[in-house]
Amino acid sequence: MTTAPGTWHLDQTLVRRYVDAVTDAVTAASVESHLLRCAGCRQAIADESADPASVARRALIWEDVVDRLDAPRVGIIERLVHRLGIGAHDARLLAATPSLQVSWLASLLLVLGFAVAAAHGRDEAGALFLLAAPLIPVAGVAAAYGPDIDPAHELGIAAPYRTSRLLLLRCVSVLVASAGLAGCAALALPAAGWSQAAWLLPALGLTLTTLALSTRLSPVVSAAAVALTWVLVVVKLVQLDRTAELAGATAQAMFLALIVAAAAVVVVRHDQFDTRSAV
Amino acid sequence: MQIHDDPRTDAELLAVVAESDRDALSVLYARHAPWLVLRLSRRCADPSVVDETVQDTFLAVWRSARKYSGQGEVAAWIWGIGVRRLIDTLRREPAATVMLTEPSRTEISAEEQVLLGVEYGDLAGALHTLSPELHAVVQATVLDGLTTREASRLLGIPAGTVKTRMMRARAALREELV
Repeated sequence: MTTAPGTWHLDQTLVRRYVDAVTDAVTAASVESHLLRCAGCRQAIADESADPASVARRALIWEDVVDRLDAPRVGIIERLVHRLGIGAHDARLLAATPSLQVSWLASLLLVLGFAVAAAHGRDEAGALFLLAAPLIPVAGVAAAYGPDIDPAHELGIAAPYRTSRLLLLRCVSVLVASAGLAGCAALALPAAGWSQAAWLLPALGLTLTTLALSTRLSPVVSAAAVALTWVLVVVKLVQLDRTAELAGATAQAMFLALIVAAAAVVVVRHDQFDTRSAV
Repeated sequence: MQIHDDPRTDAELLAVVAESDRDALSVLYARHAPWLVLRLSRRCADPSVVDETVQDTFLAVWRSARKYSGQGEVAAWIWGIGVRRLIDTLRREPAATVMLTEPSRTEISAEEQVLLGVEYGDLAGALHTLSPELHAVVQATVLDGLTTREASRLLGIPAGTVKTRMMRARAALREELV
């Protein structure tokens, strides 16, 4: 031990006392500030706290560090969902939804962007948008669950977790995400007013009809059937030049009735999701 | 884990850690975990919180090794991460107890008096006169380099109290030193 300023080091007694936590506060502070810039004294501290218990404790911490290095990093969507107050397990299940992946959401934006751009270029503003917007949550729901699409489907079947709960959880979040995107896109439409929101009830109606059909058919088949019907209806209306009627009271009331009917089917038959899950 | 064998400096190791070299991280862990565990244990009485904090710290070192500026001691950089992680952990588990006073207070040997005299001058003697509450605040803000808000989280007292205690500590030190 030397006493010249700048060359002060811990002696063996002080090292021992610091490791045993019997130094007083000021001495400890002095030791700690010195340790930050002296590798030699850090080594002395490490050598002194090399009793089996301390070594085992540090080895355990290190094992946990390695485990967490190996663990997959939590993705942005999972963190976002968790931040919104969903439990960690549900967040993981939601983030595994194929139609909640960033790539999927990006392609949705692209489709909506084209629809909006097309609406700007024509007089019959919004017909194409009205065609595309309700199909987006339908496609999302179809891709949210099922043996053909979900890479974690078999894991999901084996898990002690109700399939209907998983399905509904995912569908609701897909619906919120895609309807949110479509809503933002609708604001960019040239025509203002009610027609901007005209897609909302059809979107809900078609999505619930898809879910209702899924109690009997596979999600992909149900979605395809619903989408095809919708496209045929809209194309026919365009030919008759009656697209404006979609935003009218009669059509919207019909969609409302469709929503109620489809929701009733889903509620009554939701057990089918669980029993059909092994398919 | 070889501590003695690796000839690389901490800064060199950190540069390699930034390239995702896990062995380099294990060498850094072997060098720095011992004092970090001890120093954190002096600030938090709950060993499980300390363990979790050490884990979080080295994960943060792994992920942000790139952000190390290359200037200053690596140990000080690690401590800066560690003490803030401790605050984060305490915020998640507010039930954890924080040591305001030292576990056991023993008489200081004459030898240590000399050591302290060299290290801090008259300040050491003055610090001894502070009450444990005031000393905890001085330790958190001056020695650990925390902001008022961080210190208030670490010590579990309102930020206003940290400020008033710091003012009282400063006044007491001034009186003692002048």
